[in-house]
Amino acid sequence: MGRTVTTETIVLWACVAFIVIAGIAPIAVMVIDSLFENGQVSLGYYRELINAARFRPLLGNSVRLALATTVVCGVLGVPAGVLFAKSDLPLRSAFLWVLTVPFVLPPYFMALGWLRLIAHAGWLGSSWLFGFGGCVLVLSSVFLPMTILLTLASCWSVDRRLEEAARIVSSWPRVLGKVTLPLAAPGIVFSLVLVFLLSIGEFSVPNFLRYPVLPVLSFTQFASSYNFGAATAAAVPLVLIALAGVFIESGFLKDNVYAFRSTGQTLTVPLERWKAAFMIGLSTLCAALVVLPLGALFADAFSMDAFSEAIQRGRSSIVRSVVYSSAAATILMSFGFLFGHFMLSRGRRALNILTLVLFAIPGTVLSIGLVRLWNTSATWFVYTTPAVLILGYAAQYCAVTTRLSLAGLLQIPSSFNESAQLSGAKWMKRLARISVPLSKRTLACSWLAAYILCLRDVPIALMTAPPGYDPLPARILTLMANGAPPMISALCLIMASASLFPLFILARSLRSSHASR
Amino acid sequence: MTAAIELDAVSKAFADRTVIKELSLQVEPGERLVLFGPSGCGKTTILRLIAGLEIPDVGTIRIDGRVVAQAGKNLVPPELRNLGMVFQDLALWPHMTVSGNLMFGLQSRGVPRREAELRIQEVLRQIGLQSRDGAKPHQLSGGEQQRVALGRALVLRPSILLMDEPLSSLDEERKQFIIRDLLDLQKQLSFTLIYVTHDRSEAEAIASRICYVHNDRIEKE
Repeated sequence: MGRTVTTETIVLWACVAFIVIAGIAPIAVMVIDSLFENGQVSLGYYRELINAARFRPLLGNSVRLALATTVVCGVLGVPAGVLFAKSDLPLRSAFLWVLTVPFVLPPYFMALGWLRLIAHAGWLGSSWLFGFGGCVLVLSSVFLPMTILLTLASCWSVDRRLEEAARIVSSWPRVLGKVTLPLAAPGIVFSLVLVFLLSIGEFSVPNFLRYPVLPVLSFTQFASSYNFGAATAAAVPLVLIALAGVFIESGFLKDNVYAFRSTGQTLTVPLERWKAAFMIGLSTLCAALVVLPLGALFADAFSMDAFSEAIQRGRSSIVRSVVYSSAAATILMSFGFLFGHFMLSRGRRALNILTLVLFAIPGTVLSIGLVRLWNTSATWFVYTTPAVLILGYAAQYCAVTTRLSLAGLLQIPSSFNESAQLSGAKWMKRLARISVPLSKRTLACSWLAAYILCLRDVPIALMTAPPGYDPLPARILTLMANGAPPMISALCLIMASASLFPLFILARSLRSSHASR
Repeated sequence: MTAAIELDAVSKAFADRTVIKELSLQVEPGERLVLFGPSGCGKTTILRLIAGLEIPDVGTIRIDGRVVAQAGKNLVPPELRNLGMVFQDLALWPHMTVSGNLMFGLQSRGVPRREAELRIQEVLRQIGLQSRDGAKPHQLSGGEQQRVALGRALVLRPSILLMDEPLSSLDEERKQFIIRDLLDLQKQLSFTLIYVTHDRSEAEAIASRICYVHNDRIEKE
């Protein structure tokens, strides 16, 4: 008797096929391409790269930069995340909002902000900004929210009863050190691995601050020489590091996922006499990492001339950015939700690794692959449209919507689906009538996360957008070469508003729906 | 004689719902008091107030004659009240072994390592889990987990043991087995026991005194 193929299986494989086309195929094609030179199988590009005097320093710089950024994020972000999750510190959400802002903006905005700050306060001097120190400062402020938010979420997910059981016999510092943090460790480690991978693949900040790293080399080989083989060879070490990071992370998580039910409320540590000290510390951190550079960046924007010039020169890019990001976010939300749904029942590890690898691969690398795959006469109809850009976004950020959806779906008791199944509802009907209606908040969060990530993306926007279709982050980079600073500031402010406004609306609606329950 | 625990006109509300209203209760040293009543009547809240995991809105709580909490203030933090607690869902720390679960409290209280190990061995023998000291909670059966939770509370030699429906997930046979062990241990170590349950037979098997909790107060003893 033949095996029946269910709708679920068909949809699953269709989703996998889409992600393979969007992300895996471009990487595979470029890797294969790099193994051929003049039509012959050859390791020539790799030999040339390894023998090149600049390769080792560039690799060393990349690793050093990523490690330093990860250490700074760990040292500042983990305690801050614990503080936000577990303490009674006043104005916690305000501090969290402020610290999160750099993450929703294109990373080079912070570098530009520091540059403006230095210009305003001449005594700061600019030499320290251009180089390793400046890159670490900027990347740390950009990725710090990731460590803070994941630490916060991990601490919240620790069952309060496990902490209460420890509280009966021990003081708070020991409870945090021996119970809360070890149980939150998988999430914290995950955040640090992500920071490392995103930092090592980051291109716009080192490029702007003139710190030579591998992604910049890869981009230069691609953009100035259009040398795919050499660009790929420079990118392969980054792919290998990304793969190693993902496997280390998934290996660590495999042994450290504990099954416990969260009671939905976390225990709070009373700070008492330490409250003022923590308030001062966090205020200083917010001012130093966010308020000063962004204040300096946006300070020039507030004039009618700057805004009218910004609108005139960037209007179509603004619209394009919002439209492309919205379209990609809708696709990502749908695929993420379906992947999350599949991961509830099967293939969790494989899908997790597949999506995470694509997230960890630097945008420059993925973009080179996309151009290589689609820039042919047969696929010209795709290459000359924003479809390539949207494919890139979908591949790069699928991991985020998948994980968010899975986290939301895990909150729905499996008995809801099982009872629907027993009453005869098929998979599609259960999905439409049970899972989707119960996941509205998850879907909204997932869409917004994808929208912001696509909107702030620089490498994919810069390298895959066809001529005349450039989104705003790429347009600002181009205009920076000859545009007036107030106009650039105004464009940056418009870009920031496009990211922050929907985030603000969602936060308000989540708060009001929470209050009405 | 000073009461082991004394609650004096204690009230506790969560949001706008009063869970405990002007409750007064006295428990003598070595007594086995069972708080019995339907779900949601406030039994667990009474235990949590005694443990210091909740703060009373009004009223006073004394342990061994010392005021530990008073109207909106926890005067003595939970870890300094010298009590043990077994939670309804046991709350065994999943990242620690059986020994680790027992060792945590001893280390927190500064018991020297050598002495702590001896005490763990002794308790493991008492609860019949000598051979499982290296196992993690998920590697144990439900009954074994129950005994580890009991051992974790007893290893600190508390003067008061609080138990919050710890046997609710066990079958009748295993329940009887653990109740027998618990009574033996209580006789041996003479701690004061406050036990919460909604199961009448369980209450009768354990108690030297039963309090019926209903509608946010103790209705009869």
